[in-house]
Amino acid sequence: MSFYSPVRTNAQEAAKSDSLPLFRFVEDPEQTKIDTYEAHGGYQAWRKTLTEMTPEQVVGEVKNAGLRGRGGAGFPAGVKWGFVPKGSTKPKYLICNADESEPGTCKDRVLLERDPHAVIEGMAIASYAIDCHLMFIYIRGEFGYAADVMRAAMAEAYKKGQLGKNIHGGGYDLDMIVHTGGGAYVCGEETAQTNSIEGRRGNARMKPPFPAVAGLYGCPTIVNNVETLASVPHIINRGGDWYKTLGTEKSTGSKIFSLSGHVRQPGNYELLLGHNLKDLIYSPKYGGGIIGDKKLKGVIPGGSSTPFLKPDQIDVSLDYESLASAGTMLGSGAVIVFHEETCIVWIITKLIRFYRHESCGKCTPCREGTAWLELLINRIEQGGGKPGDIEKIESICDNIMGRTVCPLGDAAVMPIKSAIAQWRDEWQYHIDHGKCLVETKCELAPGN
Amino acid sequence: MAEKTDKNTVVVEKTPTVTFTLDGREVTVPKGTTILLAAQSVGIDIPTLCWHPKLTIAGSCRMCYVEIEKWPKLAISCATEAMDGMVVYTDSDLVRKGRAAVIQFTLMNHPLDCPTCDKGGECTLQDLAFAYGVDNSEFDFGKHRFGATENDTTFDDVVVGPEIVLNRNRCIRCYRCIRANKEAFGEFDLGVFERGNHTEINVAPGRRLDNPFSGNLTEVCPVGALTHLDWRYKIRVWLTDTTSSICPFYSSGSNILLYTNQQQNKIYRATSRVNDDIDDGWLSDTTRFGYQVAMSPDRLKMPLIKKDGKQVEATWEEALKLIGKRLTEITEKKGRVCIGGLVASSQDNATLFSFSKLLRKVVGSNNIDFRTDYRMLPQTSGGAYDVLCSQPFSIVGINQSDVIVTLGSDLVKEHPNEYLRIRKAVNFGAVSVYAMNPYRTKSSDVAKKELVYQAGTEEILINSICLVAIEDGLIDSSLAGNLAECISPSTAAESAELCEVNLEDIRAIARALADGRQITFFAGEIVGRSINREAIAAALCNLHRLFGLSGRCQMNILPRHANSCGAVQLGLLPAPVLATKDMLSKLWGGWPESEPQTTDRMMANMKKDEIDGYMIVGANPIMLYPDREFATDALEGLDFLMVADLFETETTALADVVLPLASWAEYSGEYVNLEGRVQKTHQALKTDYDARPGYEIAALIAQQLEQPLFENDQTRDETITKVLAVDSTLPWPDEFLEVKHVADEVDEEYPLVLFVGDDSHHSGYLTEKSNSLTNFQAEPYVEISPTLAKRLGIDDGDSVRVESPVGKIVVPVRISHHINNDVVFVPMNFSGKQVNSLIMRKSRVDRVRISKVVD
Amino acid sequence: MILTPESVTRIKDAAALYPQAKSAILPAITIAYRQVGHLNPDLYGEIAGILDIPAVEVAEAASFYTMFPKEPVGKYLIQVCHNISCALLGAEGLLSYLQDKLDIEVGETTSDNLFTLVRVECLGSCATAPMMQINHDYYENLSRAEVDRIIEKLTAEAQSGGTL
Repeated sequence: MSFYSPVRTNAQEAAKSDSLPLFRFVEDPEQTKIDTYEAHGGYQAWRKTLTEMTPEQVVGEVKNAGLRGRGGAGFPAGVKWGFVPKGSTKPKYLICNADESEPGTCKDRVLLERDPHAVIEGMAIASYAIDCHLMFIYIRGEFGYAADVMRAAMAEAYKKGQLGKNIHGGGYDLDMIVHTGGGAYVCGEETAQTNSIEGRRGNARMKPPFPAVAGLYGCPTIVNNVETLASVPHIINRGGDWYKTLGTEKSTGSKIFSLSGHVRQPGNYELLLGHNLKDLIYSPKYGGGIIGDKKLKGVIPGGSSTPFLKPDQIDVSLDYESLASAGTMLGSGAVIVFHEETCIVWIITKLIRFYRHESCGKCTPCREGTAWLELLINRIEQGGGKPGDIEKIESICDNIMGRTVCPLGDAAVMPIKSAIAQWRDEWQYHIDHGKCLVETKCELAPGN
Repeated sequence: MAEKTDKNTVVVEKTPTVTFTLDGREVTVPKGTTILLAAQSVGIDIPTLCWHPKLTIAGSCRMCYVEIEKWPKLAISCATEAMDGMVVYTDSDLVRKGRAAVIQFTLMNHPLDCPTCDKGGECTLQDLAFAYGVDNSEFDFGKHRFGATENDTTFDDVVVGPEIVLNRNRCIRCYRCIRANKEAFGEFDLGVFERGNHTEINVAPGRRLDNPFSGNLTEVCPVGALTHLDWRYKIRVWLTDTTSSICPFYSSGSNILLYTNQQQNKIYRATSRVNDDIDDGWLSDTTRFGYQVAMSPDRLKMPLIKKDGKQVEATWEEALKLIGKRLTEITEKKGRVCIGGLVASSQDNATLFSFSKLLRKVVGSNNIDFRTDYRMLPQTSGGAYDVLCSQPFSIVGINQSDVIVTLGSDLVKEHPNEYLRIRKAVNFGAVSVYAMNPYRTKSSDVAKKELVYQAGTEEILINSICLVAIEDGLIDSSLAGNLAECISPSTAAESAELCEVNLEDIRAIARALADGRQITFFAGEIVGRSINREAIAAALCNLHRLFGLSGRCQMNILPRHANSCGAVQLGLLPAPVLATKDMLSKLWGGWPESEPQTTDRMMANMKKDEIDGYMIVGANPIMLYPDREFATDALEGLDFLMVADLFETETTALADVVLPLASWAEYSGEYVNLEGRVQKTHQALKTDYDARPGYEIAALIAQQLEQPLFENDQTRDETITKVLAVDSTLPWPDEFLEVKHVADEVDEEYPLVLFVGDDSHHSGYLTEKSNSLTNFQAEPYVEISPTLAKRLGIDDGDSVRVESPVGKIVVPVRISHHINNDVVFVPMNFSGKQVNSLIMRKSRVDRVRISKVVD
Repeated sequence: MILTPESVTRIKDAAALYPQAKSAILPAITIAYRQVGHLNPDLYGEIAGILDIPAVEVAEAASFYTMFPKEPVGKYLIQVCHNISCALLGAEGLLSYLQDKLDIEVGETTSDNLFTLVRVECLGSCATAPMMQINHDYYENLSRAEVDRIIEKLTAEAQSGGTL
């Protein structure tokens, strides 16, 4: 027995809209079937790619669309594809990164479970663009149901001739492997993911060489997020020029935001980039405001590794540039909201425990630093903080930031630095009084 | 220390260069050079923990930070290539702070038990903490401790192998050991487990860390996480002195350092004395722990002479007088030369040369040899086998090759250094390795193709490579000449079938030989020990000629012992090559008239009473000659036997006079490695009992015979230098040689092929006296395949009877994947079982049967 | 052999898909885990034999991935997400509720061998918090009443399914 996620979405809004393509059909239980998907216009972009476009044209279209990576880093997808060395005789590989594991983030799972063919189609087009004939989707191991759905969809796609040999008679061969993970956040990092597919421990690799040059099995490899790839068919169907009209000038298109925490209506909402954060939290269409009508205390706007925003900072546009100006990041688009009855130190204990647990152990600053930070932060939270501990935490953060093999180190310390900067008084109170300034009240609902 | 990585060893002239600024000075290096190596090349030392010159780059410790102008963050110099125009600072404030933070992180959970840590005084972390003035006082929590296990001893140490001790709490997770074990040694008995701050190095589940290179791990470990029992808690490193020496066992002559305490007159350990051209900084365990042989309490301390059938202790004077008397008596009685000698090729140049002169000049005989365990040797020299053995060979040439072919060599056991070289060539270059062996060997794990042939068909196998090249037109047809007429069978297909190999595999080797630009092709002990060695060598000469390998191939049959090359060059063969013979006759004013006799022939003649007196130095034919009965009969038939050795052995037991021989560690000597390179050992121990070096024994015997050998040591050594300078390379035959198939008779009663040789932790008969090495392996076993074990209903460790037509032994079984179903292997290093009693002198292939011993 | 012929076939099939057999380590571990319920060195050895790779490489990889228990667990392995989004909606309360209900501490197994309770990091179900995974399935939007129903249902299922 497996379960379809009951998560709330704005599919109805998307169905009525011309500009929210990702969620259009995610409430249609038949959408996972290839016939339904095709009836909804699916695989037309793939056919068009194979029959009408050169790989260069595909890359050009995606570059023109301005599509940026939806996994967190926001790097332009078309540009990344262009990094595959021209004329390389080695096999090339595409990996769809479905190792969704950053706390707060649960957007890809909706696409995997409810619109798997959209992911496959995007992967296929991207493969064609980089001359890849074997593509992988790396789904986190716990997403058993999503993997089952994806395998079934893949089987259908083979059966219907969307994958396999000589697809649509165009002479292009493409195979696909569904690879499931084993519970390791770091495998969402592209070099660690590559190691994991190779059967190794999921340690990050040094860059350079970048995966586009030497990735999986030492061959050119492109790793793209699920949502990024799912956006590609729409760009091919309707053109980069159309896609560019969505969102803001530099943050084009739509994006799924996972809204969680102390909101009335948590869920996944597809919004145009540039949507107002406050609206997402408070609009009855989306978050519907804070539970219990409590006061908002803070927001993590882009997944657990992004710096916090305070209530006076949330009247901000959800796009890469605006959030950067606000001192934080769009990240994976995971908006975590917490109200006034939440201790900031308590929140940070949750986050640092996660990063300590997920550190791969390869490089010294991350391996040792996250463990030390966890000890210090727990000590403060439990009332045993010592004078100087805050400064010590800041110093450790500085010695991790920018010093590690992969971005996990940065991810671990950014929210900590931000939490201290934004709520230093609360940290100091904890040390001075051995207890919370605001006591956390986060209880399990009784239900009925 | 000027260490280089492999990334940087070959600097081709045309390589483009980059110029950048390093701490204010302009530095030009080949493009692709890392900042770390560029800095080292101009004498700027950047600290490292995880970086190791012989291993791939991990980039994990973050110790080697440098600051690069316009770069947003510190860079790790081990992995960052220097680029044109870069401005790099290796010691800025930012860099020092970055490194200090790394040390502090590293010290967080490190026990700081330096007072009781064996690495104290030679620990990189200790030195760096000192240099950067960092302690762990900022970390005010309890340190993370790995759970105790049942193998724990003192100080959280866990014994993970016969020698290796692991302390996970001291481990700083630099992963050097893992990289060395997997990459450099191809071993999988050590692993990295768990993750994050609980990441630990540990022995693989259900395994012991006991690979033949395991001792190196204690050297690559920058801290005291991996130490070894032999050294542990015995002495502080600063209380020892080091003496340069070389490995006394294998023919490449690994460079080693012996750590001694002079007051105690004791060697505490051996480590590598990195020589990139020879050992590349790695030692086999046999080399590393072999020094204990010299320290053994079982050493012979006094001469023994036989009185009334019993050996009793005697003085040197008594012993020498007796030797002089008996040798003179025997010669006078027979009225002709009937004295011979066997001087092992593990002895130094001075010993070999002195005995050569003693026998040739003083006794006047050509009865001299250095080979103990080769049967049916030719009496003449200059044949195809000698041609191959005389060819130039270079160890670094191995990893400059694009094609490497080996024939009949279980490399790990015979040539551990060369095995690691081949691994290196594969790891760091584009080389194709082809291994041809009569059974699967661990050594072939890096081979692109491992070709397993029917035992005893080597020459036909080589023929088949030639034939396929002709048939497929892989070589210029004019080169083929009359080869097809010289060899039989005359088609590749028939030959391949006789050898039971796949023709496609033969084809692959032929193609590689035809296309290779720089080929290394060598044969090993399985060829050397074969009574068909001459035919195999002839086939190889044909192959060399047919493929036109001159100038693009180093081909050789590699010698076995530390001074095998020296023995050949100094004329220790009954019939040395002409150039050597000429030089020696000139030096000694003549040459004995007597017929040259090999060890093998001398033994046959002992039975016929034609050899009556025999001198053995550092050899144990009773244990090692491939026919125990034959050797025993021979030596028992002598009128007089003198044996000089480190220990009492089965051979000394038969002697009329036994002399205590000094070990290599007790005097300075010179040895010639397989490349012809002369290397020195230095005295590390004083002999506190009356053992004497071989050259001194030779001189003393000569004195007894009233013919002093040399004016003094200096004239001796000058003469040796002169003889070594003779070019003894033999020319390749200028025609194809005949190589015909001779069918081998198979006795159905004995269906299994027996191979003997060294265990991977032993060499010859002496290493049984090293405690560490016997901790790895203390007794003989018979290695069989899982399939054969299943067929015979035998489990690992079961006792089995191994029977041949002439003998039987009972040994435990070791099931191994590195053996074929119809082959068994038994090591020869253990005197407890008479392994050579299974072997017949005249067999091409030794055959046995095995059965389970039911108690 | 602990692995069933079916598992062996599945592992071989998985290996055949990849350019290198070693890539099948994670699929093989997953197959072994699904069959046995946890992993151990014997299984690593069997997998290594099937894939013709050193056993230590399987063991190293397996120990890296935390999804697979390395010791036997109860029939139902309850993994409660305790990370931020779930914590904000009462994950600690969920854990203590389950501890009380099952009368075990986190990390323990009930005496009838039915339930093992563990904490885990984010399971990617943040907008349906709090949540837990039982064996391979997600249970989301949890409340005390919902937990009562789930445990009751699983207990009944186990009882009707005969002896363990």
